[in-house]
Parts: sequence; structure tokens; C-alpha cells
Amino acid sequence: MPRLKLSRFLISVLAVAAILALYRLVLPVNNTTVALSLLLVVLGVSARWGLAEATVASIVAVLGLNYYFLEPVGTFTIDDPQNWVALVAFLVTAVTASQLAERVRRRAAEAEERRLEIERLYELVQAMMLSGSARRTIREFVQRVVQVFGCEAAAFYYRPGEEFFRSGPESNPVTDHDLLAAAEVDELSVDAPRMRATAPVRLGGHPLGAMALVGPLPSDQTLRAIVNLIAITIQKARAIEDASHAEAARQSEVLKSALLDSLAHDIKTPLTSIKAAVTSLLGTAAGTDRELLTIINEEADRLNQLAAEVIAMARVEAGKLHLEKLPVPAAELIEAALADLAGVRRGRPVTIQVAPDLPRVECDPELAQHVVKQLVENAFKYSPEASPLTISAARKGEKIVIGVADRGAGIDDDERAHIFDKFFRGRRYRFETKGTGMGLAIAKGIVEAHGEKIWVESEPGQGSAFYFSLPAARGGER
Amino acid sequence: MSAGKILVVDDDPQIRRVMKATLVGHGYEVIEARTGEDALEKFPQEMPALVLLDMNMPGMGGLETCRSIRSGSDIPVIILSVRNTEKDKVAALDAGADDYVTKPFGIEELLARIRAAMRRSPSSSEGGPRGYTAADLEIDFDTRKVHANGKDVRLTPKEFETLRYLVAHTGRPVTHRELLQAVWGPDYGDEPEYLRVFVNQLRKKIEANPGKPKYILTEPWVGYRFAG
Repeated sequence: MPRLKLSRFLISVLAVAAILALYRLVLPVNNTTVALSLLLVVLGVSARWGLAEATVASIVAVLGLNYYFLEPVGTFTIDDPQNWVALVAFLVTAVTASQLAERVRRRAAEAEERRLEIERLYELVQAMMLSGSARRTIREFVQRVVQVFGCEAAAFYYRPGEEFFRSGPESNPVTDHDLLAAAEVDELSVDAPRMRATAPVRLGGHPLGAMALVGPLPSDQTLRAIVNLIAITIQKARAIEDASHAEAARQSEVLKSALLDSLAHDIKTPLTSIKAAVTSLLGTAAGTDRELLTIINEEADRLNQLAAEVIAMARVEAGKLHLEKLPVPAAELIEAALADLAGVRRGRPVTIQVAPDLPRVECDPELAQHVVKQLVENAFKYSPEASPLTISAARKGEKIVIGVADRGAGIDDDERAHIFDKFFRGRRYRFETKGTGMGLAIAKGIVEAHGEKIWVESEPGQGSAFYFSLPAARGGER
Repeated sequence: MSAGKILVVDDDPQIRRVMKATLVGHGYEVIEARTGEDALEKFPQEMPALVLLDMNMPGMGGLETCRSIRSGSDIPVIILSVRNTEKDKVAALDAGADDYVTKPFGIEELLARIRAAMRRSPSSSEGGPRGYTAADLEIDFDTRKVHANGKDVRLTPKEFETLRYLVAHTGRPVTHRELLQAVWGPDYGDEPEYLRVFVNQLRKKIEANPGKPKYILTEPWVGYRFAG
């Protein structure tokens, strides 16, 4: 480097000397021509190499001009004041022009440097192809930023994952503590003597962590650009991550639902064979055989019911109830439920109280019918055999409340709180009446899926009344 | 002389065994198919009188099989399925099935459905029935006279057409959409409320106890069925 510099000075001086020699020994011309020629040489030197070389060249040129061309020739003195002016003008022009040329050169060099940094940033962007994982993105970043910008080491603290990522030599000079501290400050900080920069990484005020670069550093502007770039890239990767998690969750729900369906199929298929076979035999059986076959038939029904309840319960719990809402008359829900229960009603007196001008209810009719059916079936089961039942539907503001009241024994206070819990069964009936303890839990799940409530009012000794609400259909007068 | 040839299509061998034993016991001749594809292959050779078709089968499945059968034949098809939602029933009926039975079922119920479906043999539904006669209900479709519970009943034209369509498909559930399109025209189909009013009127006129209908039964959320 110093040798190169020295040779530049030498060449500059030689160029000036060559001009002086040329005009002095070969081509006699007037002094102005000599001065202008020398000025061209000085400008050339300054444009090519810089201010220092140009200054040296211009001093040598002034001295040479004075010594060899200005009267009295052969001395460093000047007689004619005009020549003084010319000499000073020459010197000032040479130095000023050199300075301007030097400035332009430096600008050009800076622009070139910026261009290089932008090119590198672009290279970094391309290197960090979206991976769909914030971690993988950061790991890639700390490797690539060092390669692309020619730094020695890089480090990154990823706050959402509480993780540190590093690249460069084994003994990375940036400690975890440095990074944690950098995440807390607001601005990029550059420690020039130690050749390291640290900066918090955030996007729209949302903290993502901090990064550090060690070694020859790009400009502050570029450093900021790098910080923004990594923030945006991480945020994008996180968005993709979130989206794919949501997709994975949705697929697992779909899978669960498909599993439940296939479970239903797998349990009901053998039951179908059993039921078809046993009912076929029942057609001709008599006496003890008939009694035994009846038991098989009833138990097959019970297993079927149990399977249906387990699957319904699983659907409710998985939040998998798919509602297809329609405006339907409450009376139709009640009638459909009673029709389903015709087999277990056994002549039980049932009063239906539905106001004639009741608006329709907005609900999934099959599921709502299931709730009514469950409540009526419970009333049949848990109240004396010939006691009457009242099913009602009435308007309460924006809601339609459907109720099923029996004249049974009622429900004790302490049991009332748990009656909608899964597997809960009243102590009086636990061993006497068939049931799984899932019916009311399923009913509650269905009502809650509609965004509504189910409750019980009961006086021990007076009977119980179960109610649930459903929204009244808008503008849906019957 | 068998009571008829029935093609049983189900991927479960035990179900096919039970069906064969039971149906043969009731005088039917039984052919089995393991899949929808298998059924479509056997169908033209065997020319069954009725098809019992499982809805969930590997391969083309029951609905698709039903549509394929329907494209070339109008023999009765009863779909059997473990699923009992309204959507599944309507899908089965829309695919051209005559009836839908939920698994597991009692054999008497299935036999009744088979008998009902066979009574409506495809040739007799040509041009619709001439009339219907029971103890408390007489319908003459030619003279458009209805006599119910000892009285002559006047029906509006739409009520009469509704009744005619239901009777023509006795024993089979008719979906709201099908009934609306058959009686009101192809632009209808999404107004089950409309039908409800008509059917309630019809019941008041022909049923002894409209609150507990004996002839026009409601298939909840699916449609109606004429019980003959």
C-alpha cells in the first residue's frame, strides 16, 4: 500500500517534470500554454488518484514554472507582478479543481459502496427464502448475514421462543446477556472500536428479539435495513406457521370426526346382524326361547343406544356439533320427539301447551328434537308410570322456552347442581333404572352449541321441570 | 315360486349371511354383492325384483350405486345405513332410493318395507293408481271423488294432486322437495312450510283424528309417507 502510494507521487511529479522538459527543451511556447498544460496534468492526477497527489504535483508545477519559465529564469524569484498573479491563480485553480475532483471521486466510491450493500441485502433476502418456520428462518439468517456482508459473527435472540442463535467462530463474542439487553433498548447501537453492532428487532412495536453483528460492519443505514428485513421475514414465517397450525388443527378435527363416524359404523354393523337375526328368530319362537330372545333383542337395542350416546358425547366434547339451523315450529319439535318415543310412552297422559301464535324457533331441528326427546324420555323413566306429563313452549322476550314437567319425586338440592354433569346419576335411580348418565350432558352440549341455556326447577315431592331456551326466529310468525 | 329375487349389497359378510338366511326363510330368493361395482355387474344378469343397498361401502358407495341403477331401471331400491340424520335420508331418497332403513333394524320392519316397495312394482305406477280403498277412506282418482269417515270430502285441486302423489308412492317417504316439484312444479322445492299447511288441511279432511294421522304420516324433517 505505501509503495503504491509512493509510486503515484513519483508518477505525478514525473508527469509534471515531463511537461516542463518538453516545453523547455523541445517546444518553445509562451508561458500561458505551459501553465495550462501543467494545470491539465494536475487535474488529471487529482481525478485519477486524489487530493494529496494533486497537491504535490501542483507545488512541483508551480516551482518548475517559476524556475524555468518566469522571469528571471533560473531563479525562484519573480520580477513581474503579473506573473505573481498568474502563479497564485494557477495554484488556487489546481488545488480547488483537485478538491472538487476528489469529492466527486469519493461520492462515486460511496455510491458504489451503497450499491454493493444493497446488492448484498438483496442477496440476503433471496437467501432467506420463506421457510414457514421462524426458527429455521433465524438459523438461516445468522449464517447468511455473515457470508453476505463479510462479518465475523452474528447472533440472534428470538424472544417468542426464548432462544439464542449464533454463527461465526466458536467463541462468539456476543453473550446472551448482551442480546437480552439489546432487546430492551430502542435503537441500533454501534460500537465502532470493538467492531460490533447490536439492535432490537421488532415489527410494529411487537418485540421479536435482538440481533448482533461482529466484524467489519456495513453502514448504519444498511444495518437498519437488515434489522427491518429480518423482522419482516420472521413475522411472515410466523404467520405461515400459525396458518399451518390452524390447518393442522382443522385437519385433526376432521380426522376425529371421521374416526367417530367409522367407530359408529364399526359398532353398529355387528349390532345390525345380531338385531336382524334375533328379531327373525323372535317371529317364530315361543316360551322360554321367546323370553331369552327378547332379552337379546332388548340388550342389542341398549348397546345401540349406548354407542349412539358415546358418539354423541364425543361429538359434543370435540365441539364437532354441526348445526344446520332452520326456523321450525316448536310444536313440530315436540310432536316429532313424542313420535320417536311412541314405543316407551305406554299410554302416559301428555299435555302439550303451545301458544297458537308462537313464533318459530331458530335451531337445528334434529338436534333440538333430540333435546326434547331426551327430556321427555327422562320424565317417562323417572316419574311414576301413570303420572301425567306437561310439555310446553312459550315466548320469553327474544327466546322460546321449551319445558318438560313431570309429577315425579323431584330432585334434591345437592343433586340438582350435578344433574347435567357427564356420568352423573341420581342416587335414587343409580341401580334401578337403565341409563348411562350421558343423556342430559349431551342435551346440555346441544343447547349450548346453539348459544342457549338449559336448567331445571324442582321441588322435592312436587316433581321436576326441565327447560331450555332457543332463539325465536326473526319475523317468523307462524 | 319365490316371493321375488332380492339383491343384497353390503360389504359386511355377517350382514349378508343374516339377510340371506332371513329373506330365504320368508320365501325370497337372494343374490349377494360385496360392493357397488359387484352389484352393478350382477344386476343385468340376475334382474332382481328389489335391491337392498348398504350406504357406506368401500369403492363407489351406496348413493352412487343407487344412481347408476336408477339410470337404467326403476326397480325398488331400499338403502340401509347406520346413519340416521335427515341429511342422509334426503340424500338417499334424492339418489332415487324408494326407502331408507336405519341400521340396526328389526327384521319385521325391514320385511314390511320390502313388501311395500314391491307392491309399487314399476309397471303399476305408470299413469298413477286408479283409486284407493280402505274401511274409512275411499279415493277414486278418475272421478276425483274422496269419501272419508262416512262423508264425501271436497278437496282443492292441489290437495287432490298432493294426495294422488302420496298414494302413488304408498309406503315410501316422499321428500318435501319431491312433493313440491311434483305438485307445484319444478320452480318449487325450498318451501316446506307451504306443504305443511296443505298437508294439515288434507289431514283435517281425510283423517279421523288429524292430530294422530293414520294415512298421511310425517317423516320428521324429511317429508311425508302415505301408509296404505
